Amino acid sequence: MDQTATRIDNTLDDPTRPVELILGDNDFTSITETVSDIVLEKKTPKAWYIALAFTASLTGVLFLMIGYLFITGVGVWGLNNPVSWGWAIVNFVFWVGIGHAGTLISAILFLLRQKWRTSINRFAEAMTIFAVICAGIFPAIHVGRVWVVYWLFPLPNYQAMWPNFRSPLLWDVFAVGTYATVSLLFWYTGMVPDLATLRDRAKGRLQQIIYGTLAIGWRGSHRHWHRYEKAYLLLAGLATPLVLSVHSVVSFDFATAQLPGWHTTIFPPYFVAGAVFSGFAMVGTILIPARKWFGLQDIITLHHLENMNKVILATGSMVGFAYATEFFIAWYGGNPNESFAFVNRAFGPYAWAYWTMVTCNVVTPQLFWFKKIRISLPVMWVMYIFVNIGMWFERFVITVSSLSRDFLPSSWAYFKPTTVDILTFAGSFGLFLTLVLLFIRFLPMIAMAEVKTVMTIADAHSGERRSVGDYHGDIPKTPEGGEG
Amino acid sequence: MSQNTNGRMREEGYWRSLQELADTDDFRRQLADEFPEGVEPSVGSVSRRRFLQIMSASVAMTSMVGCRWPEETVVPFAKRVEGTVPGEPASFATTLEIGPVASAVVATSYDGRPIKIDGNPDFPGSLGAAGIFAQAAVLDLYDPDRSRSVVHTDETGATESDWDAFVAFARSHYRSTGWDKVAVLTEATTSPSVHGRLKSVADKGGRIYAWEPVCRRNEMLGAKLAFGTPARIQLDLTRAEVIVDFDANLLQDHPTALRNSRNFAAKRDPESGHMNRLYSFEPSFSVTGGMADHRFPTAAGEIGAAVWALAAELVLGEGLALPAGSGIDQGGLAKWRHHAAGTDHVAALAHDLMTHRGHGLLLAGTRQPPEVHALVAVLNAALGNVDHAIAYLPFDRPEMGTLKDLVDDLNAGRIESLVIAGGNPVYTAPADLDFAGALAKAGTSVHLGHRVDATSALCTWHIPRAHALESWGDATAWDGTHLSVQPLIEPLFGGKTMAELLSAVTSRKPRTGHRLTRETYYALTGGTGRMPKVDKGFEKRWRRLIHDGFAETPDSVATPSLSAARIAPPRGDQHLGTDNLEIAFVQDPSVHDGRFADNAWLQEMPDFMTKLAWDNAAMISPAVSAELGVKHGDLVMLDYEGRTLEMAVYVLPGQAKYSVTAHLGYGREDAGTVGQGVGFDTYRLRTWDALAGGPGLKLRKTGRTYPLATTQDHHAIDAAGADEIQKRVPRLVREGTLDDYNAHPEFVDHLGLHSPPLVSLWKEKEYTGHKWGMSIDLNVCTGCNACLVGCQAENNIPVVGKDEVARGREMSWLRLDRYFLGSPDDPKCAQQPVACAHCEMAPCEQVCPVTATLHTDEGLNAMVYNRCVGTRYCSNNCPYKVRRFNWFNNFKDLNETEKLVLNPDVSVRARGVMEKCSYCTQRIEKARVQARVEGRDIKDGDILPACAQTCPTDAIVFGDLNDPASRVSGRREIKRSYDLLDYLNIKPRTSYMARIRNPNPAIEPAGGHGHEGDHGEHGHQDAAHG
Repeated sequence: MDQTATRIDNTLDDPTRPVELILGDNDFTSITETVSDIVLEKKTPKAWYIALAFTASLTGVLFLMIGYLFITGVGVWGLNNPVSWGWAIVNFVFWVGIGHAGTLISAILFLLRQKWRTSINRFAEAMTIFAVICAGIFPAIHVGRVWVVYWLFPLPNYQAMWPNFRSPLLWDVFAVGTYATVSLLFWYTGMVPDLATLRDRAKGRLQQIIYGTLAIGWRGSHRHWHRYEKAYLLLAGLATPLVLSVHSVVSFDFATAQLPGWHTTIFPPYFVAGAVFSGFAMVGTILIPARKWFGLQDIITLHHLENMNKVILATGSMVGFAYATEFFIAWYGGNPNESFAFVNRAFGPYAWAYWTMVTCNVVTPQLFWFKKIRISLPVMWVMYIFVNIGMWFERFVITVSSLSRDFLPSSWAYFKPTTVDILTFAGSFGLFLTLVLLFIRFLPMIAMAEVKTVMTIADAHSGERRSVGDYHGDIPKTPEGGEG
Repeated sequence: MSQNTNGRMREEGYWRSLQELADTDDFRRQLADEFPEGVEPSVGSVSRRRFLQIMSASVAMTSMVGCRWPEETVVPFAKRVEGTVPGEPASFATTLEIGPVASAVVATSYDGRPIKIDGNPDFPGSLGAAGIFAQAAVLDLYDPDRSRSVVHTDETGATESDWDAFVAFARSHYRSTGWDKVAVLTEATTSPSVHGRLKSVADKGGRIYAWEPVCRRNEMLGAKLAFGTPARIQLDLTRAEVIVDFDANLLQDHPTALRNSRNFAAKRDPESGHMNRLYSFEPSFSVTGGMADHRFPTAAGEIGAAVWALAAELVLGEGLALPAGSGIDQGGLAKWRHHAAGTDHVAALAHDLMTHRGHGLLLAGTRQPPEVHALVAVLNAALGNVDHAIAYLPFDRPEMGTLKDLVDDLNAGRIESLVIAGGNPVYTAPADLDFAGALAKAGTSVHLGHRVDATSALCTWHIPRAHALESWGDATAWDGTHLSVQPLIEPLFGGKTMAELLSAVTSRKPRTGHRLTRETYYALTGGTGRMPKVDKGFEKRWRRLIHDGFAETPDSVATPSLSAARIAPPRGDQHLGTDNLEIAFVQDPSVHDGRFADNAWLQEMPDFMTKLAWDNAAMISPAVSAELGVKHGDLVMLDYEGRTLEMAVYVLPGQAKYSVTAHLGYGREDAGTVGQGVGFDTYRLRTWDALAGGPGLKLRKTGRTYPLATTQDHHAIDAAGADEIQKRVPRLVREGTLDDYNAHPEFVDHLGLHSPPLVSLWKEKEYTGHKWGMSIDLNVCTGCNACLVGCQAENNIPVVGKDEVARGREMSWLRLDRYFLGSPDDPKCAQQPVACAHCEMAPCEQVCPVTATLHTDEGLNAMVYNRCVGTRYCSNNCPYKVRRFNWFNNFKDLNETEKLVLNPDVSVRARGVMEKCSYCTQRIEKARVQARVEGRDIKDGDILPACAQTCPTDAIVFGDLNDPASRVSGRREIKRSYDLLDYLNIKPRTSYMARIRNPNPAIEPAGGHGHEGDHGEHGHQDAAHG
């Protein structure tokens, strides 16, 4: 692909002109080639193999740890009597949260006609699926008797026993289950035209068969497109409430309990905001290196990243506001047990975790008020990492600090993770990254068909305005100009 | 391999199996690791088959008189023995002797295997209550580390032998040695049969010595000083209005502690107006100190001075006339009058005692020197308390040599053959005596012990000792009542009793324990000469004794009059300081003198005050901690009388400033798999002249730390947390003074959190049948831990070990929350037993995704173990945090013998399952079945949960809340009844009764509270800002 030494800056807010979402000397063909060649033509980079070896080993560690857990018992984690939920639940909420970016981008932004979503939605949706897979592992393995975990599902059984519909854990099963299903459907449906493209361009027989099967007979006829767009719209409509519901339900695990620090009505919106916040950060964390390694800077432009940063700023502020509200209500509610739970968070034995969380989640996103920071790739990448750390700690603080000091001081205790806790969590990253690596190698990571619809050349009136790169005045240079 | 064959031969080779073979090899390896000195005890473990044989024999024989009959015939269990119902537990009255204290108990046997020990409900000394040691003793029966055969050691090494070989050896050995060269060292025992055997040794010219690491010798000597005769102190706390406890811990360490507790509780009933007042002077928090209305932390060495200060105040300030024979120099009293040890409140205390003359009680502890005991006796006599609340029962103490005498005689070569009948003197002897060295000088030494311990390892013969539940025997209660010991099971490992061993030593044809016991009782009940083969009168008496477990209490004897020559006052000031600390050696509340070191229940049971499990520690005061910069968990070097010991430090609030308490009984290297090397061996610092300890201890930091496992305050509490605890405790453990209560009977309602009217969103379930509930009276709960052990034994609660306890994974269904209030130097202590409260609006139930915990029709919060998936959500949502999770398969490592102690009525919980208090639902069902069989309704009192059954103060009452006449309903009507965390509207079925203190108005004026951080004050604050 033509790596122009300079690229126009499409982050300028000029209300008189539509934003250039795809840069460079791109037309429909080049888009198709750029994306599908990664899968079909280009030699798989050595780095990919090295990365896969590493992440696959990490995944192996995950399964080793799970095996050890199954053989020995949940006691291999650092849990104790007051702190019955530890890293497993923290990781679950963390990964479910990560999964939120995908649906938000694909569903809500689709309905809101945010065209910039097309460049990143495939990637974000894939991450949603992978994050939900990682998330789903934890509640399943954290139960004491994993061999009967299926009792949580309302399956017909000889005892004629239903699960307890009053339990938020059961709601979780439904919420996460629905979310995973709809996300998968959405992702796959959106991918069908692109899979057909791969099928058509594939040279190997095996590739043709596999992509052909996955493309389920897509021929690109008008009727196909008509049905496709309807289905996509419907799925977007279906998925939209799920963006709000899944993390609301996850938050019910805490909010419906009567534990001080959990028993808070603000949790559902606060969790959803936090989830979107962390999801965008995770998408960004992976997208920035990926677009560079695979030369997708023209498709995933600074404008896209800046938009994501704006979302992070908005949701990060919501999260910060929620923290403040929690404290206010704890004081205003007048219940000494509740107020102590928050004093304890900030000044108790887990103060280090609390202030890590506040620094990462409240202070860091505020830097995105500055445009310079919003469009600086290295800075934003570091900040994404901070947000990831902060959001993990948010779940840790909520789960563990509340449990460790509840009503009766006699049962207070301190939770310390074991090596197994740490390796299991690290292993879940291994699984996540392995899936991401496989995805970028074997599936179209950019929604080609959708991207084409937002290109300037796809606009019937494009010629009336200007051609690609036809700016008035000086062409601003982007900070990444000159990179190879 | 020879032992191996030997072991197998006895167990009849034809049902040998591969598994057994493997098991045996394993066992051998384990033993080899454990006893590197080369002593190899028997190799055959009791197999299930062998056990069934023993069991069937026992059951067959129990059918005859309700106990094992002596004929040792094996009856096949193929046909049901008449009168027995398989699976129906049977109870037998018997006795357990722990040191010089015999307690009448009832042991429950399930198909021939004893599974539970409770107090004998008919015996006035216990009324159904049992202490922790008695209850835990059943676990010792199945201790896999018990020795399994006689071991004989000679030049060629240790070989497995048997009882017959020993009897053959004894037949010639003692006569040929010459009886004047034979000595018997006995542990303290009250058994008339054993005393009879000892007498026959003495009659033959043998020497008798006695050693008990923790004994009541000073008390006896004190009585001798005051009255001219040794005496046993008898207490009747129902007759005491004012009690002063000088380091005596009368609610726990006294031989009649159970009865003392019951009687104390009877006098702590604010509703009936009976409220005594308890003062306590002690170095370290005891159960009694925790119950005291006024506790004065006082170094053990200062307590003598405190008694003298009180005496001076009584005589000079209050004009108390000292009776004749008091042995006190009145002129010398003046200098004691304002001694600092007496505290600022001595005048108030003296006045209180004077106004309650004849209704008071002073008591000194066994670690105090005889002079202090004598002075206390004189004061009791002068105050007219004698023969009311306290009586000194003259006691014919047999003359025996001391351990020091024995060591001297051994070293002087006066003894060639030694019989050590019980005890473990190599471990427990004072360090300066070098008992092990002296023991080597005896050519032949025989040791009777439950396991091959340090003493057995150095003796030429080891005889396995029968557990009390395997033995025939007798004992004498503290008040002189004759008690019987009967076996529930054949000796699992062929053990012998003390009497049987001594019989083998003295007689050519040793008699069985059964015969010895009968003969003794025959003689005691007036029989003369040889016991006839048939004596109907005696048989009747005998059967009565065996059935009841105790004979009639002898008529009490009046206290003799004072005849003290001179009671020496204590020597001058001890000048205690950080460079001259006092060390106090105290028996451990969990392992006693070390004899229970291999008892996992007791090791895991948290200390009632420190909440420390699986360890002992040097307890220091917060002041010393600050002055020396030593923190909780630091390893320090204790330097005392030229000996050093590295030990971990526990900073205990309320510890007397410069006094360091060191519990005995830990650090055993010979205790077996459970107790091996647990804790620190403080015997290594103990000297013969200072068995109770004394000044001169130096404490040095080593710079290292040691992990201490506690079940509460698992980790250090920061300032904000500590502050919050001080605010919260008054809401949780509600208490007030007697005056407050009388003025405002509803005061407890103002101590909780203010809440809007508690209404339910939906129509709540109505309980029309039974509605089980519990009430726990914090006013009389002493925190003695008996309920914990009772629950442990009843409900098959797993033991998880130190590491897991340190992680906060102890499994106890019932825990005792202990809080300190006020200044760390002189805090108040509050105890609160907490178990599942069976909330009607149980928060655990609604969050369980699989309905594994749900309500029964009678309102029990039931746990369906086989439905539980183990999400642990219930535990998170439980505000009391009383649910316990099986993090691992906790029963995996139990061998077949250890499993025998499990209660078959209670499920053994699998890995990954939540468990918690069930209100002893198995007992509810049993009572229901019984009532149905008898065609009646369940009566109040039919159901006793294990905790309620064993509570010595009757603090726990269980019953039907729908029955207005039930005790528990009655208690709920009382104004000081409250629900823990009531504002959550969870409607717990277990309610608490507020603690009422009865402070002396002269010390703690009404309104102005004497201690900082007082409950009432905080409570009102909360009510105001709530």
